[in-house]
Amino acid sequence: MFTLESGSGFWNPILWILVLLITFLLFYGIRGFGKSTYKKGTEQTKAFLSGNKEPSPEEMHIKASNLYWGFTTSMKSLYSVLRKMHTGNTSDYILWFVLVLAVLLLILGVM
Amino acid sequence: MDVRALSEIGLRIVFGSLGLAAFGIFFGLVYKGIDRKLSAHMQGRIGPPFRQPFRDVAKLFVKENIVPDHAIPWIFNLIPLVGLIGTLSILVYLPLGGFPPLFSSGGDLIVVLYLLIIPSLCLVIGGFSSGSPYAIVGAQREMATMIAYEFPFAILVITIAWNLLQKGVTEVFSFSTIASTPVWNQVAGPLGFIGFAILLVVLLLVTPAELSKIPFDSAEAETELAGGLLVEYSGRNLAMFYLTDGVKTVVMASIIVALFFPYNLSALLGLGTYEGMIIDVVFFLFKVFLVVLFSVTLIRVSIARLKIDQIVYTYWIPLTLASLVGLILVMWDSVIMNFFTTA
Repeated sequence: MFTLESGSGFWNPILWILVLLITFLLFYGIRGFGKSTYKKGTEQTKAFLSGNKEPSPEEMHIKASNLYWGFTTSMKSLYSVLRKMHTGNTSDYILWFVLVLAVLLLILGVM
Repeated sequence: MDVRALSEIGLRIVFGSLGLAAFGIFFGLVYKGIDRKLSAHMQGRIGPPFRQPFRDVAKLFVKENIVPDHAIPWIFNLIPLVGLIGTLSILVYLPLGGFPPLFSSGGDLIVVLYLLIIPSLCLVIGGFSSGSPYAIVGAQREMATMIAYEFPFAILVITIAWNLLQKGVTEVFSFSTIASTPVWNQVAGPLGFIGFAILLVVLLLVTPAELSKIPFDSAEAETELAGGLLVEYSGRNLAMFYLTDGVKTVVMASIIVALFFPYNLSALLGLGTYEGMIIDVVFFLFKVFLVVLFSVTLIRVSIARLKIDQIVYTYWIPLTLASLVGLILVMWDSVIMNFFTTA
């Protein structure tokens, strides 16, 4: 009942939600036994910065682009080639798009 | 469906979920204790007692649950709980202790692959909601690690399913099917055996990243980020993440056992129902211990922490190539063996 089937895979989301609900109630109750209080507005609520003074949130901002650093650094050789090919012009971008699409259609047509 | 059948399903859901939650939490903490003790001995230390993880959780529950000034309180408090219940929910789809999954027709390997993202995603959301630069850097690293290890893991799953499909098996992603038709019994020759052995090594190396263990723990990196995405967590919220880590260890080890070592001793020894069940449960726990030993303990005591670019490189280049080689060897296995048998 209510099982989603894709032909090779299957999943019953209702069952999963019920399991989540039961375990949520259980652990919400268990969590309630833990201490909930702390000293608001004291040093302990400031972000831990290894003893350094906490700057304003704007100054502590971490750029989202940092996420890609691991990828761009580990595959520097590939990205350096791609960067050279990337001119920043929309017309060039569309030309690449059309060329790749043409190659794909050609492959599909041959197959 | 009549009332009796519905009430049976209801009881199964309630008691099954509670039983599996108890199993996951208890053995998660037990394996955490064993891992800490063994790694301490390997490093020439005495280490904490086996029951230390239980004490840690008890201690965290009496500690202050601090919410930082710049945090988003409701997300910061809710997300550790979501991570724990999301991880526990995976257990209902896995064969444990020689028993079939609690809901074998409720979800398959693909569902488990997706559900495995929940604990890591909760760590990421918790890190971003902390309002700490260390936690945000940790969350970004955790995201990069997730993107990196999914690729070889997906190739492995596809290889196992493809191989079963070639043998004419239906429902190839079902854990019941995979456990009843072990991969080693499906290989036709040495190529298939080598292929699956390579894929097993890849999965053993994906596990420490899934569990944020050394050398793939740059998201936490105590010496560099002071705990990274968990730096601002304390008290009962940290206890929830601690329990999630333990349960995820059981989940990952159980997946490896189900995919590669689904054998039981009861049939081999010709034991009766109750003795057989006990032996199978003990044997399963031993297999899980071996997986934890090889994929967590031995690796984390022998290799230093990798930088995030090294982690991405490790998963996207050598391990992805290794899993592709494994896939090709498994594909060639039946073709070449067929050629020799017909020639």
